[in-house]
Amino acid sequence: MKRNIRETLRYLGYKNQAADPAVMELIEGSWDDLERAASPKSFCREYGLTVNGEHIDAGVFQTDSRSLARNLKGCERVILLAASLGASVDVLIQRYSKLQVSRAVVLQAAAAACLEDYCDSVNEKLKEDYLKKGLYLRPRFSPGYGDFSLECQKAILQSLEAAKRVGITLTDSLLMAPSKSVTAVIGVSRLPGNCTVKGCEACDKMDCVYRR
Amino acid sequence: MEGTNTHMGVLEEIKNRKLFFDGGMGSLLQARGLAPGELPETWNIRHPEVLREIHLEYLQAGCDVVTTNTFGANGLKYGADGEFSLEKVVTAAVENARAAIETYGREISDRQKLGKYIALDMGPTGKLLKPLGDLAFEDAYDLYRQVVLAGVKAGADLVLVETMSDSYEAKAAVLAAKENCDLPVFATMIFDEKGKLLTGGNVASTVALLEGLGVDALGINCGLGPVQMKGILKDILEAASVPVIVNPNAGLPRSENGKTVYDIDADTFAAVMEEIADMGANALGGCCGTTPEHIRKTVERCKYKPQILPTEKNRTVVSSYAQAVVIGRSPVIIGERINPTGKSKFKQALRDHNLEYILREGVTQQDHGAHILDVNVGLPEINEPEMMEEVVKELQSIIDLPLQIDTSDIAAMERAMRIYNGKPLINSVNGKEESMRAVFPLVKKYGGVVVALTLDEKGIPETAEGRVAIAKKIYRTAAEYGIRPKDILIDALCLTVSSDSKGALTTLETLRRVRDELHGKTILGVSNISFGLPQREIINAAFFTMAMANGLNAAIINPNSEAMMRAYYSFRALADLDPQCGEYIAMYSGQTAGLGQSAVRNPAVGSSSGSGAGEGMSAGNGSGGSTAADLSLSDSIARGLKERAQAAVRELLNSMDSLTIINSEMIPALDRVGKGFEKGTVFLPQLLMSAEAAKAAFEIIKDHMTVTGEARQKKGEIILATVKGDIHDIGKNIVKVLLENYDFEVIDLGKDVPPEVIAQTARERHVELVGLSALMTTTVPSMEATIRLLRKETPWVKVMVGGAVLTEEYARTIDADRYCRDAMASVNYAEKVLGGKENA
Repeated sequence: MKRNIRETLRYLGYKNQAADPAVMELIEGSWDDLERAASPKSFCREYGLTVNGEHIDAGVFQTDSRSLARNLKGCERVILLAASLGASVDVLIQRYSKLQVSRAVVLQAAAAACLEDYCDSVNEKLKEDYLKKGLYLRPRFSPGYGDFSLECQKAILQSLEAAKRVGITLTDSLLMAPSKSVTAVIGVSRLPGNCTVKGCEACDKMDCVYRR
Repeated sequence: MEGTNTHMGVLEEIKNRKLFFDGGMGSLLQARGLAPGELPETWNIRHPEVLREIHLEYLQAGCDVVTTNTFGANGLKYGADGEFSLEKVVTAAVENARAAIETYGREISDRQKLGKYIALDMGPTGKLLKPLGDLAFEDAYDLYRQVVLAGVKAGADLVLVETMSDSYEAKAAVLAAKENCDLPVFATMIFDEKGKLLTGGNVASTVALLEGLGVDALGINCGLGPVQMKGILKDILEAASVPVIVNPNAGLPRSENGKTVYDIDADTFAAVMEEIADMGANALGGCCGTTPEHIRKTVERCKYKPQILPTEKNRTVVSSYAQAVVIGRSPVIIGERINPTGKSKFKQALRDHNLEYILREGVTQQDHGAHILDVNVGLPEINEPEMMEEVVKELQSIIDLPLQIDTSDIAAMERAMRIYNGKPLINSVNGKEESMRAVFPLVKKYGGVVVALTLDEKGIPETAEGRVAIAKKIYRTAAEYGIRPKDILIDALCLTVSSDSKGALTTLETLRRVRDELHGKTILGVSNISFGLPQREIINAAFFTMAMANGLNAAIINPNSEAMMRAYYSFRALADLDPQCGEYIAMYSGQTAGLGQSAVRNPAVGSSSGSGAGEGMSAGNGSGGSTAADLSLSDSIARGLKERAQAAVRELLNSMDSLTIINSEMIPALDRVGKGFEKGTVFLPQLLMSAEAAKAAFEIIKDHMTVTGEARQKKGEIILATVKGDIHDIGKNIVKVLLENYDFEVIDLGKDVPPEVIAQTARERHVELVGLSALMTTTVPSMEATIRLLRKETPWVKVMVGGAVLTEEYARTIDADRYCRDAMASVNYAEKVLGGKENA
């Protein structure tokens, strides 16, 4: 597991400023904890796809979303992905949320960076595998990005049996538990296109405070 | 539950021969037309002929146990208002299994004679239990209870709890089965290749929990293929005393043209299953991807293998959700600090409902090397059962050590045992009839290792002979309840040596004789020995060493006492329990300071890392200012150096009164950091570290003021809560830390709080300001509902809101008085609403 200190700082609100030594020590310590607690898991499966205007039918879910439709333009199939750092990371964050909230905040940021990197690595591997078959992947796109409804998480998680395979469940209010989890769709196309794997830039929530 | 019961057939049968379960169901249903997203259990009613056909194929393949198609059947998916009720779905499932067996058996209608059984299948609810998720333990229990009642009524022969990846949910399911029927209960869990559950438990902790609850057989299913399961099976066989079940997938899954396929065929599967049978598995079957063909070939290869049941493992084990602790030759440390006896601050924390104080006591002891934590919250003026349940829930949500439930209140004991996520230590039972009658049934039902005090109606025997006699009586009576000697720790009792100079020798003799004559395990509350003497640690440590040398297996001590831990590590090195003195050297080689120093154990295991948390954080933190020794209080606070801030405030208290320190040093420092945060030159971690340093300094001032009788005026009470449906509470906790530093009294209602609770608290305590947090768009409606209720019931209340998705405008549309974009904004608003006022 690579320690992504730069992204951790970004999630904590630092832009280009240096963090003072006490904060850096806290960040390193939090990554120590995280490395012990995290057990990243993922599962994905491919489905057929039709995009009709803004209407998207991915087999296991149907939705209307302009931003997702734009993302999946020219795709005939779609990969649904679920990934999580596991429940122990939540236990860790919960522990410090009660006892030392500064560490909880840093852990939260480190875990977000860690999860994003993990998704990137899974995504990169998929990209290589598909390229061998002459297929191109679109940037991964998650429910909640732009106008892509959170409701779709239900069907994505269910079709992937994510509770069993990855350990991701949904609360009644559609929060994923454990919290350090991701669901995403990745369009599969025969045409090369915008193939960056980064999730953040793919979103058009331009006013997001965490935007890279 | 004797052998005369017809349901016991399967338990008799498994003693004599390998038992075979059926294989996968989902993929077979899909092949017959089950659509993606369609609930498989609806086919029990819509297409009973399909289910019967599949069951029959498995029976013809040679399986003995038909599992009903009820894996996902629960009240969440089959609600009262749905097309099919839960009861109908479950009843139809059992009917289909029965019909298939009848077809198979032709004229033999007695299933037992036929040797074919119906297992009521119960899978996970699909929800994560609180506190990580939003399903309460008792609600999970209730969901399973409904399934059990329906399944028993329909005529199932046993209950199979399967594919469980969370020990807590497994406990809810097993408990629901045990309490609502007398059928045999089997439980299989889903482990990953490292032998871990998704929620962090391992084989040893899981086996301890399940055997404690009294399952009749246990094992592993799903997740892995038979090849990967072999290592885990080996671990299970080393730990388990009941028959072991192995139901693997048909190898590991991969995606092929959008379909999940598994990587081994029926022949390979069966060949590996044969190895698994030879290793000692007692029941074999399949899970995802396996077909009647897999089962047929497995049965062919394994049918005539001799059945060898696991031997009774004579190990004394307690467990938490994450780990098991074996109590054996190497002594185990039980931290005694979570106990109000003789501690006025602890008593106050209990009265104030200050759980944070209690959690810190737990974390500190863990950091100092405790293996188990004793939990005693008995205080005459509090509701002990309620408090005990709450404290156990809180502790097990942040600490992975097993707990020792310490109470003489049987109601409190039962409530804690019921919601405990593991196999606890229970403190205590004694030789009195009344005590044994009350405690043993609980130990039998929920599982646990129980501390048995060697006293009875006649008091404490003065001789070892007398105490050994009581120990024997306790073992004997426990056996009548089905409790084995390995689940009893004999407390040899130590009384203060200052009142009886032979007392210590009697205790030591008792330890030896329990070990040598009864082959039992022992425990002692070591610190009692020194009661009434000066410098108690000196006697305690010496006696502790003597007790260990006389066979003590578990010691209830203060692990924060360096003298005690030195005795412990030294004993282990000297008694050949610490190979090459490795642990001793790791502990003390770096310790150059004098022997008066206390050492924090290196956080080496799992999530037990604690560097930085709580009072025990003498190592790890603060070195950010290695030249910090002469920093002023205000600079220490500004830089977030907790240790230094505490030292600085102690120095200042010699020359300055408390209020001057607060007003001239601390508040200006907090303001300086707060302003910096608002301007964007100070970032959140710094703001919080500084707040925590100030909080630590305030604690010292508070203690000082209690002594001097000074008082610090509070500015008023504020309720903070994360709204219903939202389980993320860091944002709220950030605001709490800051508000408290600015003298506000925070009533923290926690997370996932219903509107009614918030309104009721605001009304009862006549609170003027409520702060609400919501993280997601999906939980803002519940924030809105809370505000609506507050407007109606407590019209005087001002409401401030915050959270990732909120904006100024959004806050206005849900009728909040103020949107706080960050924690400092809430402090400013609180000052505006309550600032300068007298305490209400």
